[in-house]
Amino acid sequence: MKINSSEIKWHLLFIILVLLLIYPLLFSLSTSFKTMSEAFQSSSLIPADPTFSAYDRVFTTINFVQILSNTFIIAALVTIFKLVTSVFAAYAFVFFHFKGKTALYFLLISTIFIPFTVTMIPNYITLSKVGFVDSIYGVALPQLADATGIFLLRQYMKGIPMSLMEVAELERASHLTRLRTIVVPLIRPAILSIGIIFFINSWNEYVWPAIMIKSEVNYTLSLALQMFVSSEGGTDVPVAMAVATLTMLLPLGLYAVCQKFIIGTFAQSGIKG
Amino acid sequence: MKSADDQSAYRRRERRLAFLFVLPSLAVFILFMFYPLLYTLYLSFFKWNMVSPKMKFVALDNYVNLLTDPVTVTIAENTLLYIVILVLFNFLLPYVLAFVNTFLMKKGKYIYKTLLFSSSLIALVVGAILFQWIFNPVSGPVGAIADAVGVALPAWSKTPGLVILVISLVAVYKAFGYNFLILLSGMNSVPEELIEAAKLEKAPNSNIFTKIVVPLTSSTAVYILIMTIVQGLQYVFTPIKVLTQGGPNDASSNIIYQGYDYAFTFYETGMSAALAIITMLIFLVLLYLEFRFVEKGVYYEN
Repeated sequence: MKINSSEIKWHLLFIILVLLLIYPLLFSLSTSFKTMSEAFQSSSLIPADPTFSAYDRVFTTINFVQILSNTFIIAALVTIFKLVTSVFAAYAFVFFHFKGKTALYFLLISTIFIPFTVTMIPNYITLSKVGFVDSIYGVALPQLADATGIFLLRQYMKGIPMSLMEVAELERASHLTRLRTIVVPLIRPAILSIGIIFFINSWNEYVWPAIMIKSEVNYTLSLALQMFVSSEGGTDVPVAMAVATLTMLLPLGLYAVCQKFIIGTFAQSGIKG
Repeated sequence: MKSADDQSAYRRRERRLAFLFVLPSLAVFILFMFYPLLYTLYLSFFKWNMVSPKMKFVALDNYVNLLTDPVTVTIAENTLLYIVILVLFNFLLPYVLAFVNTFLMKKGKYIYKTLLFSSSLIALVVGAILFQWIFNPVSGPVGAIADAVGVALPAWSKTPGLVILVISLVAVYKAFGYNFLILLSGMNSVPEELIEAAKLEKAPNSNIFTKIVVPLTSSTAVYILIMTIVQGLQYVFTPIKVLTQGGPNDASSNIIYQGYDYAFTFYETGMSAALAIITMLIFLVLLYLEFRFVEKGVYYEN
């Protein structure tokens, strides 16, 4: 079967779209290998005289290792905590019967309609009372109130055959045992993929770091990037593009390795019910 | 056989355990979502600067000030323009393309969702910096293309209107692939035979889309439409904050950025809280609409 001639125009359209979306990535990568003067003179995607000097400057102008580890610690804490709490909550919403279950579930899910401007001042005040302003914990904590994990895990758990759970109940297996020996093993791929999504989201987070962090030792990658922006774009384009490239590396790397899982889990997030 | 006492003891134990399972999540939501919501509502009735020990009760003054301030008109107009651009690029375009990809293409079509989705994983702040350079009128490629066709690209960050378009494109870059993916999976609820029958009758594609596909995919579509607005207005916060700080003269600010600005630039806690509450009320109207439409959609799709 060959591609039908009327389909060619649609393929062209999609190819143009893909190129438009991929172009900024290539722009960033290529500019990061240019010299400062070339970056200003030419917008060619192939550097005339490729150099690593922008990457050298990343390590001399900012404390890149510290910033990288801050970002990593925050993302890891947020991911682990959200995964554990969401697995337990989703289990309760699927396998327990209690009064007000549906109402509570919808209350939690509807929080995606609360804009962050509603929570930012009280959260700032709360966290300043416990000394978490200008601390990576102050960045991590507000990110934990996120219902997407509960929503997604509930979808996957609803797909577990009821008969399996009934057998376990007859054998008087406790809920913790059922969770550990039946539910978690069956939806392990989903848990991993949701964890990857949590990690990427936190890695990319800008709003809470921007509100909470003051000093450079506590910066995350998002805030470090902001240092290379001035009203007209600063002067050192290659170094800005080098930091941008380094920031994208982890999310895109994870995507390249497990894009099938990630796509599948994201596709679930649009399904209601 | 269990006695009635056993039964109720068992139920009580189950309830307690269920509560324990939900508790960690619930605690986090109460601490960082529900308590802040009530506190912000409370703050919206006071004049305060976040540090002074004195808070002055002003009843509805903050709301009245907001509604009579000429800046609010600018912010409302900007917010509407953001919504129009976001709906166009992040909802209508991916919706039509999901239809095209599902029903008008056969071979080699699956690769596109994987490729288009990749930009959804990139941080908004990265997108903001990339677009700042791509649209730089002096050294960027868009400026070079404009030069080649004899048009001078204006300094977008100083040009009202254009500044909103470029900032919106950062949010388009973030959400387009994701929305396309969800709308694509929504197309599953359209029976292939219906489309084939319509094609045999030589119905134009535009009619197939509006008469068959739209009614059968309305629940997914309404969901994406509403998320495009609710999330999009928050997505553009990052490029606004990083690139323009709402300027020039509030020309790129929106309802979200303005709330942030009141709180953390001017320390007018009450004004920020009042605007945040208004924003949430608008979003809640959208939530109500979603419930109505999605329920209707469920009816259609069954």
